[in-house]
Amino acid sequence: MAVYRRPRRQRFVLLLLVLTSVTVITLDFRGEDDGLLESVRRGARDVFAPVQSAADRVFAPVGDFFGGLTRYGDVKAENDRLRSELEQARGELLRQAGADRERQQLLELQQLTFAPNIPAVAARVVSDAPSNFQVTVSIDKGSDSGIAKGMPVVTGAGLVGRVADVSRTRSTVLLITDRASNVGVRLQSSGDVGVATGEGPRQPMRVDLVQLETKIVEGEPVVTSGLQQSVFPPEIPVGRVRSARVAPGALKQEVTVDPVVDLERLEFVKVLQWGSRP
Amino acid sequence: MGVAALTAEARFRAPLVVVTALVLHLAVLSRLRLFGVMPDLMLLLAVTAGLTGGPSAGSAMGFAAGMVVDLFLDTPLGLSALVFTLVGFAMGTVGTGILRAAWWIPVVAAFVASAAGEVFFALAGYVVGQTEMVTARLALIAPVVGLLNAVLAPLVVRMTGWALARPGVPRAFVG
Repeated sequence: MAVYRRPRRQRFVLLLLVLTSVTVITLDFRGEDDGLLESVRRGARDVFAPVQSAADRVFAPVGDFFGGLTRYGDVKAENDRLRSELEQARGELLRQAGADRERQQLLELQQLTFAPNIPAVAARVVSDAPSNFQVTVSIDKGSDSGIAKGMPVVTGAGLVGRVADVSRTRSTVLLITDRASNVGVRLQSSGDVGVATGEGPRQPMRVDLVQLETKIVEGEPVVTSGLQQSVFPPEIPVGRVRSARVAPGALKQEVTVDPVVDLERLEFVKVLQWGSRP
Repeated sequence: MGVAALTAEARFRAPLVVVTALVLHLAVLSRLRLFGVMPDLMLLLAVTAGLTGGPSAGSAMGFAAGMVVDLFLDTPLGLSALVFTLVGFAMGTVGTGILRAAWWIPVVAAFVASAAGEVFFALAGYVVGQTEMVTARLALIAPVVGLLNAVLAPLVVRMTGWALARPGVPRAFVG
């Protein structure tokens, strides 16, 4: 008799677990940011934070070693690139001082909303996304430090992403290369604006809405546009143009942009305490 | 529930293994990436629990592993739980026939089930509105996760065998 009962019980267990999962998915969709499930999620992240930090300290060298092995070619190529860039940077330094002054004047002229002294919270990147479908990192500061959902995240080089989720002691940062990320950008030489969308890890971003007649130079800097209601303040460096082409019959150019920040090796970031404008 | 079928020993051990696996998954494996892809230890728990403990154990372990990892993902809560439950059950159903098989068969089973599980996860995500999960990159993610999980399978199958307090760990892994 047990032989016949067992498969039926197994199917009952399966049905129960599937129904529970579907119910939780539905509740999560309908729930608000301060709903019960979201509170449970944030609580779990806070409780787990010290364990994760400790494990991170212990295992970071292992990850770095493994990462170095799998990225040996990249590291060598980058070393060569950095050497040549250093030489260029020395020459550009003098020219940059004048360009900065000019940019500041243009900003004032256009009455943009960007304030140069936006308060910022420094944070350490504690882990990558525990998933193959999201390009996020976890940082060691949360709402207790004044971080809120939607705030821009930067390094000294430029834009990293925005805060996608916050608990008391942890925040999740959605990187600009995630497919769910859209950044309003401006091509610095032409002033044309567009939207840079992530194409996945280690992939250049795609910029839409660039006019056909706009002349685009390879390597041209791309910055945040900071148009009204933008999530990001203006003039934060985003990347450099990798390629631009016009597909036959297309009404807009296809532009790809390499992020200016090395998103594969983030260690410290700054969260700008800057909210989107109504 | 599947838990009712577990011994008292397993009721203590199984949560311990799930939490340990979660720590490893979040803090260690998320750093060990091949072509930017990390192994999916929590999915592998479901696969190996199905292989060693049968459909009920596989689905229960899959549900628990999926639900805890969902707390740390930004995909809808319950999505991993749903997928891992079904994968664990499926492996439990086919696994009983391969427990005493050659050593490489469970490794291959882990490869196939993990790769299929990733595709299933992406498709389930697409259905609930996470359309960015189904992209050409899935063709890379699925086989690489399968490969990495296959490498981890001999170790993890012992873990789940211990967790479920089942003597039915595939002989190939016992020695």
